[in-house]
Amino acid sequence: MCDLQAKLIAWLDRELSSDEAADLDRHVKGCQECRGRLETYKKVSETFDVYCDAVMAGKTRRRVSRWVPVLATAVVAGVVMFLSFPPRHVEPPLVLFPTLAATSVKVPLPHAAEAAPRKRIRRRHAVPPIQEQAVKWQPTETAVQIAIPADAMFPPGAMPTGMNFIAELSIAPDGSVQQVRLRQ
Amino acid sequence: MSGDSVPLALPLLRLAAGSSEVTTLYRELRKPLLRYLVCLGLSRDEAQDVVQDAFLSLQRHLASDGRQENIRGWLFRVAHNQARNRQTSYHRRFHESLDGEMDFLAHDETPEQKLLEKEKFRRLAAAIRLLAESERECLLLRAGGLRYREIGEVLGMAVSTVGDTVERAIKKLAEKCNV
Repeated sequence: MCDLQAKLIAWLDRELSSDEAADLDRHVKGCQECRGRLETYKKVSETFDVYCDAVMAGKTRRRVSRWVPVLATAVVAGVVMFLSFPPRHVEPPLVLFPTLAATSVKVPLPHAAEAAPRKRIRRRHAVPPIQEQAVKWQPTETAVQIAIPADAMFPPGAMPTGMNFIAELSIAPDGSVQQVRLRQ
Repeated sequence: MSGDSVPLALPLLRLAAGSSEVTTLYRELRKPLLRYLVCLGLSRDEAQDVVQDAFLSLQRHLASDGRQENIRGWLFRVAHNQARNRQTSYHRRFHESLDGEMDFLAHDETPEQKLLEKEKFRRLAAAIRLLAESERECLLLRAGGLRYREIGEVLGMAVSTVGDTVERAIKKLAEKCNV
């Protein structure tokens, strides 16, 4: 066994001083055993290098392949859910905005009044029956019906005190008033 | 030397934080650092995080007028220490089967040649598992293109010890793999 064999790998890695490297260079040219070992060390280094690349490539590929089935399953499940339960089209409620005159008048809401629990309140003064008529009135075919006190529609003295009318307004789809009908 | 295949710009003189030289360094060292960390046993995502952290540390190091000698060794040392802190299972290293990954190595070869290549890598993997930890790390850093002096700085070893360790490891692999 050559004495210089211990320095072969350092020589391969260019870690020797220039003098040592020159000595080893001369020796390797004339020593078949050292040349053979040098070749083996080179092959081992190269194989190790390729092996490291394989480890890195493998981890990258495994990372992708692990997520592909999960994502595919999620997408398929989403499509099935979408096809099974299609979104329902809900018509928005028709909102009609009252005119300025109508907003100044208090109108009882028949359904709200029925739904809310009644409270027993003792009043010293009797409540005028003006609102009772509006509560009993049920809409037929018109879209909006508003009760307006007669005092707000006629000059003072033209109508007896306490008399009211009910105005039935038919509202067109564009929001304009189609028809106005007064009744007592 | 396998490290010669990875050209690295050295020496890096008077680096400034945020300079284009740091960007060049990132381009040159990102892949060797990633490979080293992945081979140590980190996942690809963990390795990416560690490399990012290492370069952020380099920015801070340069901003605070830190040492500029052997930046490559410095980066590998920072990444190595962070990898050590992150590893949950040390035994994950080199223990995963590479059967599937071997296919990409030899696309143009015959089935017999592929089989021989696979067998060679299987023997190598088994031999690497039998190496001591320091031997494995020395070989990985050497494959990353580091000089013995830089490997010594990363692992806290004398240069002569690194030389002895590399030699011992290569001889063990050569004996067991019969390449």
